[in-house]
Amino acid sequence: MLTVLLLAAFSLITLDYRSSALSGVRSAASTIFGPIEDVVSDVTHPIGSFFSSLGHLGSYKHQNEALQKQIAQLQSQLHLTALERAELAQDQKLLKIASIGQYRVVAARVTAYGGGLGTDQTAMIDRGSVNGIKVNETVINGDGLVGRTVTVGRTTSTILLADDPTFGVGARTAAKQLELGVVSGGGRAQPMSLSLLDTKDRPTVGESLVTAGDTANGDSPFVPEVPIGKITTVNPLNGALAYTATVQPFVDFTAIDIVGVVVHAPKVIKHDSVLPAPPKPIPTVTVTATVTATPGGPGSPPPSSPPASGGTDATSPARSSTSSSP
Amino acid sequence: MTARRIGYRVVIIIIAAILQVVVVNRLPLPGGHPDLVVLVIIAMALASGAQIGAILGFCGGFLADVLPPAAHIAGRLALAYTIVGYGAGLLEDPEETSVLTTILVVASGSAGAVLVYSGVGGLLGDARITASSTIHSLVATVVYDVVLSPFVVSPVSALARRLEPIRPRS
Repeated sequence: MLTVLLLAAFSLITLDYRSSALSGVRSAASTIFGPIEDVVSDVTHPIGSFFSSLGHLGSYKHQNEALQKQIAQLQSQLHLTALERAELAQDQKLLKIASIGQYRVVAARVTAYGGGLGTDQTAMIDRGSVNGIKVNETVINGDGLVGRTVTVGRTTSTILLADDPTFGVGARTAAKQLELGVVSGGGRAQPMSLSLLDTKDRPTVGESLVTAGDTANGDSPFVPEVPIGKITTVNPLNGALAYTATVQPFVDFTAIDIVGVVVHAPKVIKHDSVLPAPPKPIPTVTVTATVTATPGGPGSPPPSSPPASGGTDATSPARSSTSSSP
Repeated sequence: MTARRIGYRVVIIIIAAILQVVVVNRLPLPGGHPDLVVLVIIAMALASGAQIGAILGFCGGFLADVLPPAAHIAGRLALAYTIVGYGAGLLEDPEETSVLTTILVVASGSAGAVLVYSGVGGLLGDARITASSTIHSLVATVVYDVVLSPFVVSPVSALARRLEPIRPRS
């Protein structure tokens, strides 16, 4: 008898695994038993709840109402401040990068995106020629290069985002001072690509790229030193003359909101000043003031000047950023 | 066909095109985005026939070609949407289109729009048009459009039929 049952069980398992012959049975079972289970559940659930809530019956209703009101209030508050806080943070980052790089920027908010059927990686901002924006100006945000302006209306402008495949920008690695190659966009949600100009150069993974913009002859739309991205992979030559590499942009192009259009390039270029700080050793302040016991003596050293701190210039002019926050 | 009949519909297309760039393209959807304009054009073509469909397709396409922040060679979407509007209009159903027909028309219309747009872009040497970008765009647009069609095509078709209660043909 057991053997027969086991065999039947195995047959059922096999049948159910290999075919759908049992689905009819199962659906019939649910047709019959489903409503019954429902009714039973309906009957038993309130009873259980009733017993558990018997203790605090009176205070429940009022408490519930008060709490719900409170939750709604808090949620609306939280929502508002989270949005505002995010925008404020973006604003601050933009101002910081603008003041470090000494770019004069016009801050703007992204109002519309290209895309859809068109594969255009473009965005529209709420500032235009009345705010001093012109065609072919660099657009940045707190993370780095966003794109460049392509069409400027009176009060709105269109930006070609840096991840658009028709976008190209001269770039150099943070360590080298010469133009290294051209970074072009790869399309929506794709990494950018770098193609080198010099056949002898070989990029290394992890290097950061910045714009090589040339303010001297002014034919490049890009201001220098704007961070672009990091090299993630270097492609093999495969018979090509110069190396190509993929670049992960610093900017998240799906989440740009506050941007800045650089309307004036910096007069003095400070190399690698705008890049996100690499993990560098904390500068140690060495106090070199020597206490001389004999003031006015002929051999006393002049009072030492305070050590010039490398890196960011703390005394950058205050005019470096004029932001008109929307 | 009077100018007013076209005018009402153009207003609806304008609203759709603006919603597309301001709201839809902002959504961080994987792969691509639904195309509201093509949905509205298909809906109106199904309600009003091939001639109006083609006209509205052209108007909508041209609008989408030039509405900022578009930055491609204008006319590509106009061409694509004209063909789609005409094709959808051939399957016109003045009474009430069946759900299956609607879905099939939306799927083939969206696919046709992407293929025409990308094909012309490829011929024009648009760097954005590659095999993989076309396939991505094709799959995403068709899927999202089909998902949205009950919420867009049916109401817009109903509205278009109301705007035009007396049919010239029986």
